[in-house]
Amino acid sequence: MASKIALIIRREFLERVNKKSFIITTLLMPLFMLALMAAPALIIAYSGSEEKSIIVVDESGMIGSNLQSDEETSFHVTDQPLDSALADTESNGVLYIPAGAVDGTQAVRLYSNGASSMSLESNITRQINSIIETERLKDYNIENLDQILDAVHSNVQIQTLRNDSDEDEEERQSSTGLSYALGFGLTFLLYMFLLIYGQMVMTSIIEEKTNRVLELVVSSVKPTQIMLGKICGIGLVAVTQIIIWGILIAGMAAFIMPAILPADISAEVTAMNAGQLDLAQSTTDTDILQAISLMGNVGYILQLFGWLILFLIGGFMLYAAIYAAIGSAVDNIQDAGQLQSVVVFPIIFGMIFGMTAAADPTSTLSF
Amino acid sequence: MNLIEVENVSKAFTGHVALDDVSISVPEGSVYGLLGPNGAGKTTLIRIINHITAPDSGRVMFNGHQLSQDDVANMGYLPEERGLYKKMKVGEQAIFFARLKGLSKAEATRRLKEWFDRFEISGWWNKKIEELSKGMAQKVQFIVTVLHQPKLLIFDEPFSGFDPINANLLRDEILRLKEQGTTILFSTHNMASVEEICDYITLINDSHNILSGNVNDIRRKYCEGRYSLTFTGDERKLMESLLPLASQFTTADADNGRRQLNMLLSPDATLRDVISIANDTVQLASVNESLASMNDIFIKTVENYNKQH
Repeated sequence: MASKIALIIRREFLERVNKKSFIITTLLMPLFMLALMAAPALIIAYSGSEEKSIIVVDESGMIGSNLQSDEETSFHVTDQPLDSALADTESNGVLYIPAGAVDGTQAVRLYSNGASSMSLESNITRQINSIIETERLKDYNIENLDQILDAVHSNVQIQTLRNDSDEDEEERQSSTGLSYALGFGLTFLLYMFLLIYGQMVMTSIIEEKTNRVLELVVSSVKPTQIMLGKICGIGLVAVTQIIIWGILIAGMAAFIMPAILPADISAEVTAMNAGQLDLAQSTTDTDILQAISLMGNVGYILQLFGWLILFLIGGFMLYAAIYAAIGSAVDNIQDAGQLQSVVVFPIIFGMIFGMTAAADPTSTLSF
Repeated sequence: MNLIEVENVSKAFTGHVALDDVSISVPEGSVYGLLGPNGAGKTTLIRIINHITAPDSGRVMFNGHQLSQDDVANMGYLPEERGLYKKMKVGEQAIFFARLKGLSKAEATRRLKEWFDRFEISGWWNKKIEELSKGMAQKVQFIVTVLHQPKLLIFDEPFSGFDPINANLLRDEILRLKEQGTTILFSTHNMASVEEICDYITLINDSHNILSGNVNDIRRKYCEGRYSLTFTGDERKLMESLLPLASQFTTADADNGRRQLNMLLSPDATLRDVISIANDTVQLASVNESLASMNDIFIKTVENYNKQH
């Protein structure tokens, strides 16, 4: 009896693994995943819009001259009254600072030609706030105020180290941002796998019911054996895919990453891995360094994928069985759609919980 | 001894009754035809015998004991709507199904090669099912059904979709399997094939078994005054002289240059009258009671049943 299940598992597995689409997605997905990781950096790099020129009509007399122009925005203080400044529509906008802005009795106004942007508005608010703060501090007539303010300003970098890891292991770098991103990414991957492979079980059952193969198989083995064989066979395909991805990514980490990283960054990564890096001196952002360090850690990646497989198997068994039940209950894909939505809800709940857990791994919700 | 005993089986689906208190007995080694109009319940009965669905009431005995899951290894089933994995290669697929039925891989391969040679389809081994025509796929399906040499073969509409040459091939294979001692149960609408190869039939109509028994007995019972004469002489003159006594004449060629005249005797006429008139007109060679065709029996029985209910 067991050998019949093995036969069905073998058939389901080989049928899918031998497909061209499987081979293509298996090889391409890691590339897409890497692209997805690189996407935020690329978006930031290319999203800078052209410089905006803002005409400043300053009635307070002290804010306008202190506004700092940067790559995105240039401020031009003018003596014209507001009305004539507004007549000039060549600029991107007119910033009107009334005299009462300093003591907070009048609002600052931005007359924008065309759509204004969030970053512009927050830039202006931030600058004006800090200028007013400084001005108000000056009113207290503190000696050496500038030096004091410089000394007060700080830019703290935090490097978190795991204290509770095993004794023989080195203290592992753990960045909260990174573990959040990882947790989120893996939750999403798990969700995708459950949906895609769960549906695969369902459609395969519906298909075989439609073309009557199922009748032939049922006349040879018990229905439960077919279901078990199908679920295990398709589950194995998912596991195979994850294993291949794990190996591919670990391989890239081991061989390709060192080759393409700029020398100074890789030197810093090496230093950090050795625990010798003084973050205050580092030129690169800590999170990025830690991400790179982690990507280079083959053992960690393999361990991560190991856990992923474990959760995948557990989740898959549950959802595939539910999907199989739907597949057996309906006659065609259209009918399956409605029932399917009932199943998708728990998965989405799971994903929301997963995200919360990723944000705070020690929260009570995580257990 | 009966291989299959279906005892008072009923089966209802939501909205309609598919089988109502149906009983049939299939003797071992026989070819058993399951006839009936579309939707009469034949396929449901076949599925129950096949252990795909269970009856609501009644029971099925197989080889002397109550039918169980283990018995399906001794059955081969050719479903009405043929189904094979479209993406799988023919040989691989046939081996898969044979192994599901418990054959070893080596044994399955050996037997398959034999069958493929006999059907002259050895070149298909590495083709996918989706590359084959419907009729070609049916040949493969037939082989898959019989490969594990089961005691009982169940064919649902085996002749549908076959061209006359392949239908003949199939008929010969069925008879060959019968000679080897296999019991064959099949449903069909092809009445000619029933006359040719069936030993027993059951006619199911409107979920009831309305006619069961040996084919020859049934055909004799339904002949109802049908006779055939073989003779030499003028057939036109013979028909004219017999006209008041008989009707529905049909003629055909017979052996030794003779002619054959089929007719239906009028209710008030006797065979003796017919023979004496024929003797005067032509040179009579033989007089036979002709068996009713299964086609007529089918139509008559079903229509009678529907009139009464």
